[in-house]
Amino acid sequence: MSDVVLEAKGLVKHFPITQGIVFKSKVGAVRAVDGVDLHLRRGETLGVVGESGCGKSTLAKLLVGLETPTSGSINVRGEDMVRLKGAALRRARRNIQMVLQDPYTSLNPRMTVGDIIGEPFQIHPEVVPKNGRQRAVQDLLDTVGLNPDHINRYPHQFSGGQRQRIGIARALALKPEIIVCDEPVSALDVSIQAQVINLLERLQNEFGLSYIFIAHDLSVVRHISDRVAVMYLGKVIETGHDHAIYDQPTHPYTQALLSAVPVPDPRLRGHRDQIVLEGDVPSPANPPSGCRFRTRCWKATQLCAEQEPLLQVRERSPHPSACHYAEIRDVVHRR
Amino acid sequence: MDVLPGIDPRAPLLEVSDLHVEFRTQYGVAKAINGANFWLSAGETLAILGESGCGKSVTAQAIMGILDTPPGYVTQGQIKYRGVDLLKLSENERRKVRANRIAMIFQDALSALNPVYTVGFQLGEVFRKHRGMSRSAAKQRAIELLDQVKIPAARTRVDDYPHQFSGGMRQRVMIAMALALDPEVLIADEPTTALDVTVQAQIMGLLADLQRERNMGLILITHDMGVVADVADRISVMYAGRVVEEAPVYDIYSRPAHPYTRALLESIPRLDMKGQQLSVIRGLPPVLTDVPKGCAFNPRCAYARDACRQDPAPPVYQVSQQPHRTARCHFFREVIGE
Ligand SMILES: Nc1ncnc2c1ncn2[C@@H]1O[C@H](COP(=O)(O)OP(=O)(O)OP(=O)(O)O)[C@@H](O)[C@H]1O
Ligand SMILES: Nc1ncnc2c1ncn2[C@@H]1O[C@H](COP(=O)(O)OP(=O)(O)O)[C@@H](O)[C@H]1O
Ligand code: SF4
Ligand code: SF4
Ligand SMILES: [Mg+2]
Ligand SMILES: [Mg+2]
Repeated sequence: MSDVVLEAKGLVKHFPITQGIVFKSKVGAVRAVDGVDLHLRRGETLGVVGESGCGKSTLAKLLVGLETPTSGSINVRGEDMVRLKGAALRRARRNIQMVLQDPYTSLNPRMTVGDIIGEPFQIHPEVVPKNGRQRAVQDLLDTVGLNPDHINRYPHQFSGGQRQRIGIARALALKPEIIVCDEPVSALDVSIQAQVINLLERLQNEFGLSYIFIAHDLSVVRHISDRVAVMYLGKVIETGHDHAIYDQPTHPYTQALLSAVPVPDPRLRGHRDQIVLEGDVPSPANPPSGCRFRTRCWKATQLCAEQEPLLQVRERSPHPSACHYAEIRDVVHRR
Repeated sequence: MDVLPGIDPRAPLLEVSDLHVEFRTQYGVAKAINGANFWLSAGETLAILGESGCGKSVTAQAIMGILDTPPGYVTQGQIKYRGVDLLKLSENERRKVRANRIAMIFQDALSALNPVYTVGFQLGEVFRKHRGMSRSAAKQRAIELLDQVKIPAARTRVDDYPHQFSGGMRQRVMIAMALALDPEVLIADEPTTALDVTVQAQIMGLLADLQRERNMGLILITHDMGVVADVADRISVMYAGRVVEEAPVYDIYSRPAHPYTRALLESIPRLDMKGQQLSVIRGLPPVLTDVPKGCAFNPRCAYARDACRQDPAPPVYQVSQQPHRTARCHFFREVIGE
């Protein structure tokens, strides 16, 4: 599969929990990402969903090199990002950029828009010669639908949606093939959200970009993604094409998650399968044995406590699902 | 409970008419609410829907009498609770209404709770202050309330501090606190926006149960059109400080009468199908110190024509009588007809 641009294998990130101030001793670990495999093809969007704290942002930071994995590998175009060093690593990093959630805090308020978007050129001076940078930044502003004459303005002079466009322009500066978007539209109003989603889709077509698109809004993820990975407590528990995940989910957690999402159509009221989960997500420092979802799962048996279900295609799950008893149940449409 | 003079039990539970609120700041006067109208009956859920800055929270604050004054002032209009105009009451009477009749929960439950007191103490305080209960009786009531909002093991959790509770549990505590004195109206301002969907589903279910048991009027303030479709009886859509459309929930989703409502519905992605490209509402909502002449929505409206760019702003047109529907759009017939 030569069109795979990104492949992660056995990705793990544990944050040590320490005690003591002077002599810190390690007393445990937050298992934020705990064995994730994924791949991304050229021009494709992989959506990543899951509840707060399940490890989405940590996964994103690992993929773009902002965190170092505890173990595992990340291949971008055949190069192992975890083992690369120095100039070779810097060059490879150009290929994978990130857009962050909060358009209000992720941009430095004291830098002009031109400096913000042009900053990657200073870190990677070989990409655009010095005298061409202003032009390049103006082209980028134009590409994301902002006025190129506003190059000397500051972030506070822009609205939330416009700031998110600035973040996208900056991510595009080094002409990456892959962009990791961590909740890129979550802070925006619906009318502005649609503008940014359409922009991301247009840029993807124009430049053949591949996206990892992280969000907790499952409707937005369905709209933009070709494939989806559902995370729970640091692991991917189900993955497949958007149709498989939304119309034929087989993992109880995916089913519970989807059933909780309200659909903007009052005629469906009371006509969808409702699954109300009890209790809270367990601490990622001390996940349950066997299946991590078993403390909240209505189907759990002794087997679930003893044996960890692997993420794989199963007799009753045509796409990979990490449940011993995986089985299709539609919770999204009219019963 | 003190009796309010002039209370008419047959009058509508809550009726807001022609409400105007402005903020007098150093940059000028921001007209946050420019004539908002709606009413609420017992047992009913009214959703106030709109994007950030359209005036949802300010409306709620005006009803509660907790506007930030200065700079905020109600400059016109009426807020009638069972026939009594709350805006004409003394601050002392207002406080009693706030405690006993109309209560509110906020988006950010953590900052609304005091971190240095236990959850049980803060809940019990409501009963000690307003009902003159003893410490032990108040604690007993606090446990009952925590139980009613489905906090597991309420008897032991009552002595915990807010930070020991998850986000969803803190919002349950806020609901318990709001309901402590059996209000007839509950205003919930984005009560689940900060929560995960599975927790949101729990909280919305809890609110619906409590509302049914108590026949409470619920004003649900939100920007989430999914949540509204799930729980509301009627909807008021706000834009730039006005209610631009008001209708029963089924009617508004199937046949919106205002171009803004229609555009909002078309711009949201759906969970139950893979949609086409999203349609967008061009431009941005207006700055409140500089609202466009005529209809405030005109620079973004696909239906706009000359009449829309001239003052006065569109009045409240009656779209239909049965069911009762209104819209502030000169061309609502064209919009609803399509
Ligand atoms: N630097 C860190 N040190 C210790 N623990 C961390 C660190 N960063 C993240 N964690 C923990 O790792 C887990 C996963 O966090 P992460 O930010 O990846 O979640 P998320 O899925 O992005 O959540 P959200 O939806 O709230 O953004 C959480 O329990 C979090 O508290
Ligand atoms: N204390 C305040 N001082 C000045 N302006 C305010 C204040 N509170 C709210 N506003 C303005 O009033 C408008 C409506 O705000 P709000 O009701 O909070 O909107 P939302 O619909 O998002 O709840 C906004 O333009 C906001 O900036
Ligand atoms: S493996 Fe067992 S506990 Fe885990 S999701 Fe499946 S049935 Fe539930
Ligand atoms: S009055 Fe005119 S501008 Fe306003 S919503 Fe109606 S058609 Fe659009
Ligand atoms: Mg995150
Ligand atoms: Mg608000």
